[in-house]
Amino acid sequence: MGSLTPDFRFGNFVGSIVWLVFVVLALVTLLILPIIFFVLFYVPLPEVDGEVLTPYLFFSMMVDPSRTLPVVQFFIHTDLFRAAIFPGFGFAALIAAATIFIERKLLAKMQLRVGPLYAGKVEGIFQLLADGLKLLTKEIIVPSGSDKPIFWLAPIMFVSTAAAVVALIPVADGWVVADVSVGLIAAFAILGFFPLIALLFSWSSNSKYPFIGGLRALHQMIAFEIPFFLSALPVVILSSSLNLTEIARSQNLFMNIFILPINAFVFFISSLAELERIPFDLPEAESEIVAGWLTETTGMLYGLIQLGSYLKLYALAGLFVVLFLGGWSGPQIFPPELIPGAHDSNLPLLQMLALDGLYNPVTVNSIFWFMIKTIIVILLMLIIRGINPRIRIDILLHTGWYKLIVLTFINLFIVLMLIYGGVIGPGGLISIR
Amino acid sequence: MDKNSTKTTQENEISLKEEDSNYPLSNTLLTSINSNFGDNAKIVYKKEYRSKIMVKPENLVETALFLRNNHGFDHVESASGTDYPADNEIELNYHLGSYSNIDYYPYIVILSTRVNRDDPKSNSLINIFPSVEYHERETYEMLGVYFLGHPRNERFILPEDWADIPPLRKDFRIKGR
Amino acid sequence: MSNIEEKISEAKKLALQITRETEEDRLMTLSVGPQHPGSGHFRFVIKVDGDYIVYVDPDPGYVHRGHEKMCEYRNHFQNIPHLERPVIHDSCNITYSYSLAVEDLVGITVPRRGQFIRALASELSRLSYTLYWLAIYGIFLGHSTMFMWPAGDRELLIDLLERLTGARITNAFSIPGGVRCDIPNNFKEKCLAQVNYFEKRLKEYEDIFFNNPLLRQRTEGVGILTKEDAIKLGVTGSVLRASGVPFDVRKVEPYDVYNEIDFQVQYMKTCDSFARAYVPLLDMRESCHIIRQLIDKMPESGDVREKLQFNIKSSPGETYKRVESGRGALGYHVVSDGSPKPYRVKASVGSFRNLLALPFLLTGSKLGDMPAIYWSLNYWPVEADR
Repeated sequence: MGSLTPDFRFGNFVGSIVWLVFVVLALVTLLILPIIFFVLFYVPLPEVDGEVLTPYLFFSMMVDPSRTLPVVQFFIHTDLFRAAIFPGFGFAALIAAATIFIERKLLAKMQLRVGPLYAGKVEGIFQLLADGLKLLTKEIIVPSGSDKPIFWLAPIMFVSTAAAVVALIPVADGWVVADVSVGLIAAFAILGFFPLIALLFSWSSNSKYPFIGGLRALHQMIAFEIPFFLSALPVVILSSSLNLTEIARSQNLFMNIFILPINAFVFFISSLAELERIPFDLPEAESEIVAGWLTETTGMLYGLIQLGSYLKLYALAGLFVVLFLGGWSGPQIFPPELIPGAHDSNLPLLQMLALDGLYNPVTVNSIFWFMIKTIIVILLMLIIRGINPRIRIDILLHTGWYKLIVLTFINLFIVLMLIYGGVIGPGGLISIR
Repeated sequence: MDKNSTKTTQENEISLKEEDSNYPLSNTLLTSINSNFGDNAKIVYKKEYRSKIMVKPENLVETALFLRNNHGFDHVESASGTDYPADNEIELNYHLGSYSNIDYYPYIVILSTRVNRDDPKSNSLINIFPSVEYHERETYEMLGVYFLGHPRNERFILPEDWADIPPLRKDFRIKGR
Repeated sequence: MSNIEEKISEAKKLALQITRETEEDRLMTLSVGPQHPGSGHFRFVIKVDGDYIVYVDPDPGYVHRGHEKMCEYRNHFQNIPHLERPVIHDSCNITYSYSLAVEDLVGITVPRRGQFIRALASELSRLSYTLYWLAIYGIFLGHSTMFMWPAGDRELLIDLLERLTGARITNAFSIPGGVRCDIPNNFKEKCLAQVNYFEKRLKEYEDIFFNNPLLRQRTEGVGILTKEDAIKLGVTGSVLRASGVPFDVRKVEPYDVYNEIDFQVQYMKTCDSFARAYVPLLDMRESCHIIRQLIDKMPESGDVREKLQFNIKSSPGETYKRVESGRGALGYHVVSDGSPKPYRVKASVGSFRNLLALPFLLTGSKLGDMPAIYWSLNYWPVEADR
């Protein structure tokens, strides 16, 4: 593909590699080894199964299957793991990355092109990595007249707020970072921060186009927040709980979307507007106001906001699944044991593969169904981008304030009639519990 | 091409005109012009769908008004100028077309006038044909003709720091040519 | 118009009462372009009052290269390659007009087969330009699929033009005296196949873009240029036809072989931004019909150009010839003094004439309507600057 530079010499190449190895070795001897020794000297080592976790034990656990699992299990049940890796940030970021890639490929197929192709040899799967590295290496330009603390802080606030919404989404029974009893209200409260962040950032940029974009973001999100809340209200009435885990659990008989189709539709449309995706991407409309409130972002500040918005996409798709599609409920398709009879076997490798103590068929099944539903919702959100143009701000506000709010009430009254008629609800004909 | 007098051109065109031809559109239009303006409007040539009328600068506005009101020429396709340093004159050409009179759809009448090159001033036709606005602004900066009554005789296409003579004058030479 | 203006003035009065600001404090000046993604090589300064645009001042000239002056230094054949530069996507049309003018001055007629090939190249070029324009109209309204589809289908027509002329976009194909070369082998079959496929694609454009309710909501009734205003402003091309004037130079003043071709002038009477976007689509359909007829009626053999000597001297005189380009009537006013080089060349281009409608339509409209109105005017900044 690429061609060698004219002054390329193989000796220079070998020399540079030798030099690199030398630098790494020097760093390790002079810096990293002393740090490790200091740490080992002062930090008390944790205790696992009555033994002190010395480095020797740690390495022996890696090769001895009977000692492997306790460490992992110990780690899995810490709050840190939940917040940082599985149902929390890491998992959501992975889905966000996959979403970006799938969006680009899907959109490309719809538009008769190929999309990312070269990075990573196979269909450009490392395109995102390349983009991330590019964004990291770019210079961050801060406008001279800007309010610098807020300008720096707002992208970080954007990501952390998005991650906070993600923390409330349960992916399986008991697998949620923050299992609060007012989960739904908390989710809406946290989502309410986004317009403020957009406005703060746009104002702090001290530029005209970001300012218009920020005002548009504020208008749009406030106009759509009310139908957003109202569409979730009948769900709360049906399940008589605000806890998201409870709401998901209450739909094991039938999904809410069968009773509340209009509300599900309104929720979907409102979440598109909250996400600033086409056809509601007015705050970033490039042919009118350059890039809206993102105009002055550069480098990783832009990357962070993109990451935050895709985290938010996952969070809202997850919220839709929990509220309307029955969360993780679905037929049990995973076997009770991963490899039947494996944990009785004498072969250590087979014992390892059985994942005895980690593999819980019910949880894995729940996560599987939750993921399937979430991915379908995300895909629905992505496809809309390929077939619709952007709409205008006055039509958007009219839709939010006049149409969607009215639509939510229709279904609310239907639900109330059914409950007072004794068809559904506590003690009804079709009891949920 | 430089300093070549255009008198020969004009004579050639007039001789063309004198050939008796049967162009009905041109004939009706030019007869009407002739009867109303007489010697004030000189007919330079006539073809099937084109004709050129040369008027004096002071008669420009009334001829344009006559063409608009009586023959339905309602817009200009272009307004431009040609520099004739040999005659010390600048010729202004208004290509008038018609959208409202269906007979004159294919017809272009070129209303033209000659102003003094040293102090080129002409009456603007903007009140008769609003579509002339940008064309006259362009002519102002390209040939330096000041249009009386035009609201904005100012820079339009040329760069803001242009500090040379108007570039379509013949004495403006492209560097290296 | 007047209704909107009344609304704006009422809103202004109310807002001024509440905030006690002066009028100038309320206005925000935005410079749209030349680095703005929604402007092209062009700038217009707008002042917005809230969401309403109250003042527009176009400022073209970022790509002015003075090709009217350049023409005076080169002979007629040397002029062709640089005359097509303003609209390389529509190059066969912009040189067509100049060639007609020179042929009129020199006093020759093009051989019949050459006329057909020239018209064929012109129609292909018009299709390719209109697709490019439509693609940008799509992306300006945020419809990314409508950007990719026409831009991809344009490639078919570019391929045809490449087979025909040897160059993808800067063709320099029609020259004084005819066309540069004859059509290659199997070109007619290939051309018919591509045009048949392309007609099916036009239906799909309609489905995904023009019948989209969100697009209709956004463009219908926006930027209304009534018939009277259109005539007064002297606009041309699709802008004029969308305002209900069936004016097409190919029909009203047929040049070359267009008087033998049977086609309709497509126009609409709704006068809005949607009509200005839809009329080019109808035009593309007519172009497909025209291409079929041209291929059908083309003589099997014959010369394609009248051989002229390189430094051909024309008789002194002047002429004005126009053709229908992708953006409307495109005329060349050529003055000759008898030497091989033209004395004065003036191009009357559709973009420059449509530009006058921009301030007229934008004033009083919403900021969100800006791309829908601006690009519907079929304005090509490079051509307007020349």
